[in-house]
Amino acid sequence: MNTPKRRILAGALALALVAAACGDDDDSSSDTTAAEDESSGSSDVSGSIFVSGSSTVEPISIAVGNEFADQNPGVAITVEGPGTGDGFAKFCNGETDVSDASRPIKAEEIENCEANGIEFIELEVAVDGLSVITSTANDAVECLSFVDLYALLGPDATGVDNWSGATDAADTIGATVTDLGTPNTPFPDAPLTVTAPGEESGTFDSFVEIVIESGGDELGVEGANVRPDYTASPNDNVIIEGIAANDTSLGWIGFAFVEENLDSVKPLQVDGGAGCVEPTTETIASGEFPIARSLYIYISVPALESNEALAPFVDFYINEGITTLVGTGEGQVPYVPLNEDSLATTVSVWDNRETGTRDGG
Amino acid sequence: MSLSTPETVGGQTAAGITTSLNKGGKPDVAGRVIGVLLLLALLGSLLILLTLVVDLINRSWSVWADGAGDFLSGPLNSSDASQAGVWQGIKGTLQLMVVVVVAAFPLGIACAVYLEEYAGKSRLARFTRLNVRNLAGVPSIVYGLLGLALFVQTFNLGRTVWAGGLALSALVLPIVVITASEALRAVPASVREGAFGVGATRWEVTRHHVVPAATPGILTGVVLSLARAAGEAAPILLVGAATGLLRTGSQSFWEQLGSSFTAMPVIIFSYARQPGEDFRALTAAASLVLLVVIVLMNAVAIWLRNRYQRQW
Repeated sequence: MNTPKRRILAGALALALVAAACGDDDDSSSDTTAAEDESSGSSDVSGSIFVSGSSTVEPISIAVGNEFADQNPGVAITVEGPGTGDGFAKFCNGETDVSDASRPIKAEEIENCEANGIEFIELEVAVDGLSVITSTANDAVECLSFVDLYALLGPDATGVDNWSGATDAADTIGATVTDLGTPNTPFPDAPLTVTAPGEESGTFDSFVEIVIESGGDELGVEGANVRPDYTASPNDNVIIEGIAANDTSLGWIGFAFVEENLDSVKPLQVDGGAGCVEPTTETIASGEFPIARSLYIYISVPALESNEALAPFVDFYINEGITTLVGTGEGQVPYVPLNEDSLATTVSVWDNRETGTRDGG
Repeated sequence: MSLSTPETVGGQTAAGITTSLNKGGKPDVAGRVIGVLLLLALLGSLLILLTLVVDLINRSWSVWADGAGDFLSGPLNSSDASQAGVWQGIKGTLQLMVVVVVAAFPLGIACAVYLEEYAGKSRLARFTRLNVRNLAGVPSIVYGLLGLALFVQTFNLGRTVWAGGLALSALVLPIVVITASEALRAVPASVREGAFGVGATRWEVTRHHVVPAATPGILTGVVLSLARAAGEAAPILLVGAATGLLRTGSQSFWEQLGSSFTAMPVIIFSYARQPGEDFRALTAAASLVLLVVIVLMNAVAIWLRNRYQRQW
């Protein structure tokens, strides 16, 4: 065998790999980009943007980021969703440009940011509304208060397999706790089957934080959680099926999924202390419906100064992104869009570059 | 009667005589049973592989039917199934492999040459060999932690292809050292002795005789470890491969090596976590793509091995 020939071939693998990886320096989706450019006019923004934080907000940032990248081929965007807390840790460490959050920033997180010289702009981008649901065949229940929900789904409800089994508990709690609605007792004498998102879901966390923990706080129960004995699924369609399959089922799910399945599940009214409220797009966006929370993005001010792609991205995010990509339509992210007032606030906070938190701290 | 002397006896070959002798004696039952069992073991393994491939094709059928082009060229997008693709993963995996090829292979082969040709039987060499073997058994997630602590943080490489590729290099380095060592050891001592006999130096023996003779074995090991690296998700997830959305824009090849990345196993992981039928099909389709990438790598390994095969 002659050596030079062998040497050439010995590098074949490495060269093939380099060539293959080199061969695609251009935009990965140049086809769609070219098509988008004709309609929206190309832009010469360039840079890279890193978004991290809440997995609840992640789908919004992905949808907006994807659209923005289509229109601005010079911009590289990475989005991930390790959780609000992890996201703020990275954000305050200066590692990310934008932090997604399913709750306002906490005081200690602000301190952490300040220690690293990270000022931020807080922008509300959408509302995450939950619905408490039962079967369409269930006529016996129309409205549940936070007290009822705590009695039916809270830690003390473990083992209760009939609605009526929680009647006494609801009455007892209702007698001491007054600002979480009045008990709608007696509950019907019917089997109670619970189907809801599993612990890994953001919807699970939202329900625990908004409903169960507020009940636990009033009762002096530390770290109250949902009863463990229920059918859990990460798949929203499975939850809908589970609720529809039992006449007297109970569960909760993201509001957007209820709207699409009104023929198989019935959303219940919920009383968070201010009377029974029907979950609708309007009551959730206005905050009138008690199981709803605002979703935010936090923009790093130092990153705004150093990264020229960031301001156009945020412009796009709040002016086009959340107004076209959030909702229950095809290709939209299933959250409740901001109402006019909240959207106007978000836009003005951004336009004036108002730093600091309005809702957190 | 001896079977070994002439090749044919009265026009019969040795094998023919053995057969006729066995016919006269008791039948070779144990041999046949073992033969059937071995065949069943082979068919069983093939069946598992076949089931996997057929199942993946079946589950991912809707993706290919809807237009394989969009899927193959689409970006990582773990929110909108209609936009999701694997292109960033294919690209990222190839980029990681480039780093592994450049970082791990020269180093690993050099280690093996030293251990086999230079180190002899010293205490240090024995200790090193033992440790290399142990390192090859360390779970891949540990190499991810190493990558995070050492490459991402200490060396400040950030969440980049460099850091991910180096973590994978550390993962496959012991495997490269071991397979290359085995290949070098398989070179007959007569090759070395012959070369030394005509006055070659140790370097000349190694350079012109031992390493070329061991090349097929080394290459096989190298490409198999490349396939191993290509299939790893845990280390690069820890290093910070993108899981939600990745758009690389118009970055050049060098810029991409220094920025966010993802890889095929990470894409499979991201899509598998999403609810819904669409993402289930995408997960299967992405798995199939990774399978094809790895099969192609192995095909290259076989081709290279056959190309350099030498008969002794």
